[in-house]
Amino acid sequence: MSAKPHRHFEHEMIKQPGRRLMHHVPLKFVQKRVQGGGGKGVNASLNLTSFIDFLIVVVVFLLMSFSASGEVPLDKNTKLPSAENTVDMVDAPMVAITGTQILVDGTNAGSTRAIEEAGRLMKIDELHNVLKNKRELWKQLNPGKQFPGVVVLQVDKRVPALVVKSVFQTAAFAGYPNVSFMCGQIPKTDKGPPGGAHH
Amino acid sequence: MGGVSVEGPKGGRRTLDSEINLIPMIDLFICCISFLLITAVWSHMSRINANAQVPSPPRPDQEPEKVEPEKMLTVEMKQDDKFVLIWKSGATVHNTSEVKKQPVEVGEGSDKQVRYPDLAKKIQEEWTTYGSHKNDNDPKQDQAIISVDNRAPFSDLIAVIDAIYQPKRTYKGADWTSFNVTFSAR
Repeated sequence: MSAKPHRHFEHEMIKQPGRRLMHHVPLKFVQKRVQGGGGKGVNASLNLTSFIDFLIVVVVFLLMSFSASGEVPLDKNTKLPSAENTVDMVDAPMVAITGTQILVDGTNAGSTRAIEEAGRLMKIDELHNVLKNKRELWKQLNPGKQFPGVVVLQVDKRVPALVVKSVFQTAAFAGYPNVSFMCGQIPKTDKGPPGGAHH
Repeated sequence: MGGVSVEGPKGGRRTLDSEINLIPMIDLFICCISFLLITAVWSHMSRINANAQVPSPPRPDQEPEKVEPEKMLTVEMKQDDKFVLIWKSGATVHNTSEVKKQPVEVGEGSDKQVRYPDLAKKIQEEWTTYGSHKNDNDPKQDQAIISVDNRAPFSDLIAVIDAIYQPKRTYKGADWTSFNVTFSAR
């Protein structure tokens, strides 16, 4: 039996490292990265918690102040008075008094000039006719229902009481006895005792 | 991203880290905010009531009922320095009192509003003494008639109506105004 000759592989898998070029160059940043001792990573994550909190607060605020009734059209020259003991708006024909014009839902329905010149309470025929037509239309559209007879007056705070009373009376004659005056809201101060003293 | 770290079983080797994707939630919030901002109403308007007290047309088949005249409060604002409060039923005057006109201005600039707290206080006292409809089950309200000078501005008129509506009562448990306001035809 003869001894097997030692096989010599041409490409050995592991072998002793030989000389390396530029080995004196330290390349510290590579060493750090390889050893895991480097600085901050490139990927930064944002904390979204405070952002989501802010969004929730805004959504809650907007939901609280949400109004489904929509905005009431108001002439920019009309300055409405404000009151404390008010109620919510209703959906009703809107009679606006701007300057000398009287408008019903935006359409012209007379002038206040004649009243101011006469200096006495008088019926405004044009307004009366427009309101009466509106009432008839409502009755045709809602047969069998009781007519609410509500009209909302949008009156500038400088308008004299004579004009207001004339419009009020005309609306009542036209079948709208429940007249509401549109106004702003003053925050409520102290309230009187509810129900009075006797019950 | 939002991360949720859930401890694994005691003997386990690793924790269960799961991440919830928060992007759709943020998108939803932003959509909600946009919608609410676009549809928001910033000027809240309200109304103050008055009633013309128009009697219903007489029915020919029914004999008209004889109704005793009720006590009514007339608020006269025809003088520059005072209000006159008159309680009367028909031609009978029950009480007359005067309140000095002391306007209190609320707000600033063009939004300045006039209020009459002294008048409101006096009307409250008067209603407590002379008011007829105070019971919780009474559907009627006391009637107040405003007799105003024709030249008075509308803001003054609203201030007086506001003062008349100051006394409150309850009707079937709910808050209600003690008076119903109308205007004198003269």
